[in-house]
Amino acid sequence: MKKTTHFGFKDVATEDKQGMVRSIFDSVASKYNLMNDVLSFGTHRLWKHYTIATSNVKVGDKVLDIAGGTGDLARAFKKKVGYSGQVVLSDINAAMLSEGRKNLINNGTTDVQFVQLNGEQIPFVSGSFDCVSIAFGLRNVTDKDQCIREMYRILKPGGCLLILEFSKTDIVLLEKCYDFYSFNVMPQLGKIIANDEDSYQYLAESIRKHPNQEILKQMVLDAGFGACEYHNLSGGIVALHKGIKI
Amino acid sequence: MKYIILQRALNYLFEVHQIDTQLLDGKVIYFSLQDLPIKVNFVCTNERIFVTNNTDATSDVNIKLHLSSFLALIRGQSLAELLRQDKIIIHGDIKTAQLLVDLLQQIEFDFEEELSKYTGDAVAYKVGKIMKKFKSSDNSSTSIKDKITKFIIAPKLFH
Ligand SMILES: C[S@@+](CC[C@H](N)C(=O)[O-])C[C@H]1O[C@@H](n2cnc3c(N)ncnc32)[C@H](O)[C@@H]1O
Repeated sequence: MKKTTHFGFKDVATEDKQGMVRSIFDSVASKYNLMNDVLSFGTHRLWKHYTIATSNVKVGDKVLDIAGGTGDLARAFKKKVGYSGQVVLSDINAAMLSEGRKNLINNGTTDVQFVQLNGEQIPFVSGSFDCVSIAFGLRNVTDKDQCIREMYRILKPGGCLLILEFSKTDIVLLEKCYDFYSFNVMPQLGKIIANDEDSYQYLAESIRKHPNQEILKQMVLDAGFGACEYHNLSGGIVALHKGIKI
Repeated sequence: MKYIILQRALNYLFEVHQIDTQLLDGKVIYFSLQDLPIKVNFVCTNERIFVTNNTDATSDVNIKLHLSSFLALIRGQSLAELLRQDKIIIHGDIKTAQLLVDLLQQIEFDFEEELSKYTGDAVAYKVGKIMKKFKSSDNSSTSIKDKITKFIIAPKLFH
């Protein structure tokens, strides 16, 4: 029997998921930034700002941003590491990566490397980065444990992992409003602005299928990280997991 | 948020004073200020200190003390003396605790000078506000140092 995994609320053959995720991001790439701002009312910028503030990245560090898409984190990291440091913006999807490249150039950020890669098989040598981040990307990865193990491998001893991802709120009223917004408003906005209702339906579903804060923390520890903590943002709608390789 | 402020402040101070944290590399220090809601782990690694709220991780040493004893330590009082007076509780590797204290004691706070390097940052803004307040009332450098230290570890007290 074929192995299956979830794609939003659907069960699909494990080997098919990556291609299906790719077509979602092919379809949303050109409108991705605009949709991000509209759907989160700009809050994604604050979540990313918090991620950078907590990263402890310093001048001269090497940072890899996985599933980096349009490059918001990479740009902020570049400011932190300076000219002596190195930032690699990576994504599995060529369309998203090229949007990222355009954004960085338009914002005057140069000296960032771009690599098309799958987070499950990172083509860098072990122990080569001070920090690795993945923002709103992990839930799209087919084998999340493998991706976390890969991020662990490429970090130097003492390196820091940052996973910013939608999560679970335990505030009942907020959860109700959020559910209504995700399943009724978001896909409709997707239809109006990006002419793409299905992708935004997938977005809402994939968030619900993503492991909650405690489970993800355990996954990070299981991958070998000596310490992991998470910070709930916006009442737990988003969580930042921070793992340290000790 | 207080963890981020503490993490940034510590790393910043160690960096500007060129204090080598390598002796603490790989150490996890549980640190609790008993009269304030501060219970953190300092994870010392990769030439920096991470401040985490995940205090269930195993630590090399546990340090528990009150704010007044912490300030006394920073001002140079010896760890042994505070231990003798039961003003600090230490479980685990006392050498690690002593190393941390040695590093903290090396920090020479010259806030006005340091502040100018912090421009455009929320910490600088808050510290700047506090500095102004203190300047008009109390000028003693020890007092300023105490108050800034309090701000760094318990920013809410100054809201
Ligand atoms: C929601 S976007 C996030 C983009 C960006 N990090 C941000 O926060 O705005 C998710 C990204 O994950 C990428 N992605 C999905 N699966 C991936 C994988 N297996 N490896 C690397 N990137 C992947 C997608 O191509 C997409 O660009």
